[in-house]
Amino acid sequence: MPERTVKIPENIYEKIQERIKDTEFKSVDEYVTYVLQEVLASLEEEEENVFTEEEEEKVKERLRALGYLD
Amino acid sequence: MKVFVIGLDSAPPDLLFNEFLDDLPNLRKLLSKSIYGPMKSSIPAITIPAWMCMATGKTPGELGLYGFRHRKGNSYKDIWIAHSLMVKEKAVWDYLGEKGYKSVVLGVPPSYPPKKINGWMIGCFITPDSSVNYTYPPELKSEIEKVVGDYIFDVVFRKENRDEVKEQIWEMTEKRFEVVRHLVETKDWDFFWFVEIGLDRVHHAFWKYFDESHHLHEPNSPYKNVIPDYYKLLDREIGKTLKLLDDDTAVVIASDHGIKKMKGCFAVNQWLVDEGLLKASYEKGKVIRFEQLDVDWSKTVAWAWGGYYARVFLNVKGRDPSGVVRMSEYDRVRDEIAEMLKSIRGPNGEKWDTKVFYPEEIYPTAKGDKPDMMVYFDDLYWRAAGTLGWETSYLLENDTGPDDAVHSEYGVFALHTPDMDGSKTIDATIYDFAPTVLSLFGLKASNLREKVLYNGYNI
Repeated sequence: MPERTVKIPENIYEKIQERIKDTEFKSVDEYVTYVLQEVLASLEEEEENVFTEEEEEKVKERLRALGYLD
Repeated sequence: MKVFVIGLDSAPPDLLFNEFLDDLPNLRKLLSKSIYGPMKSSIPAITIPAWMCMATGKTPGELGLYGFRHRKGNSYKDIWIAHSLMVKEKAVWDYLGEKGYKSVVLGVPPSYPPKKINGWMIGCFITPDSSVNYTYPPELKSEIEKVVGDYIFDVVFRKENRDEVKEQIWEMTEKRFEVVRHLVETKDWDFFWFVEIGLDRVHHAFWKYFDESHHLHEPNSPYKNVIPDYYKLLDREIGKTLKLLDDDTAVVIASDHGIKKMKGCFAVNQWLVDEGLLKASYEKGKVIRFEQLDVDWSKTVAWAWGGYYARVFLNVKGRDPSGVVRMSEYDRVRDEIAEMLKSIRGPNGEKWDTKVFYPEEIYPTAKGDKPDMMVYFDDLYWRAAGTLGWETSYLLENDTGPDDAVHSEYGVFALHTPDMDGSKTIDATIYDFAPTVLSLFGLKASNLREKVLYNGYNI
């Protein structure tokens, strides 16, 4: 996959460098990519859950009554 | 130039442009200086995704939206319901917002939860109820409630008390137009788009009283004029609203799909059981939903969801939890079942015009939780019922409460611009809407394929 460069502050870079010592992360790049992937995935998951359980039941019931979920 | 879009859910060209037009003075006047004609809907021709196909210029496959519900991670039972945040492609109001134009977007499905846009957004009928925050910005909600009290998102029409259904649809529509006029007058918008869902509900609830060719038609019913009367109500409300627009405003009328009489319901899962493709047993006389069916997945080849169209899923090994169809056999099995579906005849042996679509063949790309097949039984005249336990797979009445109409593939499009002096009929597709609206603002989105319907030529 093609790569792009982004800038992060020096102190964060150093903190990450410290954090990934003795871990499976081979570089700061790898760690930052991993963290961002996780954040984006959890944001997407959050977006998918816009209805509370009760609201979702209410909406499903209505959609069923309207003929969209037969 | 400003652009004002009147969305009329399920408006069909034959009624709006022909049969009822003489009784609709405001629409007749508008159409006399417009380009207009039938607009081919998306496949599937269903409210969600159709309105968003219009708004984004993208196909259901590109949007990853194939209806109201989708399978959650290939689950047999868990579903997710489509909502605004699942629309990842840019809509016309997003393109316009980038250029500083402000939009009012009211009830364009799905518009719940309301998104932060350059302007104002109000939730559609998938809003759970009026207790939640259904507007952007949030303070718009109390402003709306000051104008009309409790805002009405929808009317559930499948119940026997038709007077109540009628009364509620009238009240909902009148309130919606009041809100529309309030926003027209108080916001400094450039683009305005609202959708009135009441037309679709009135069609479904009262079609058999109006259509003499319907198999359940009741002559001289007190409800025979409900549908024409509702069109007159729309015309009056539209007339009052158009008076508030300034001269430099283009007006668009659009619908997501059309409507036609329902001939019946075909119990697709019951048929799949009878054909040995869905391994389960049902008891005749005891009607159950598909979710309540005890399925032997290890012996099931195919299963389906009903609705105005059917989604058929193969039970694929490696993809589905207890899949049996090997990937190497996928194409053959799918083709065979498609042929079986297309050869289904009507209850009296009559030939049906059934269409079967494969998502990856009809869209540039088919993202997300797509079905393996989408089926229009007898060109949508027969709804698909997901329920089982019927004496026969052919139901002459709807399986889940009174409903007498089904969707048709052609909705409407009309565009009036201040420089038009006459009218002209055109053919449009739902994918022409977004590029056409953007062109009115002098904008072009390079990633949209379809044609612009009006280039300022004289008519």
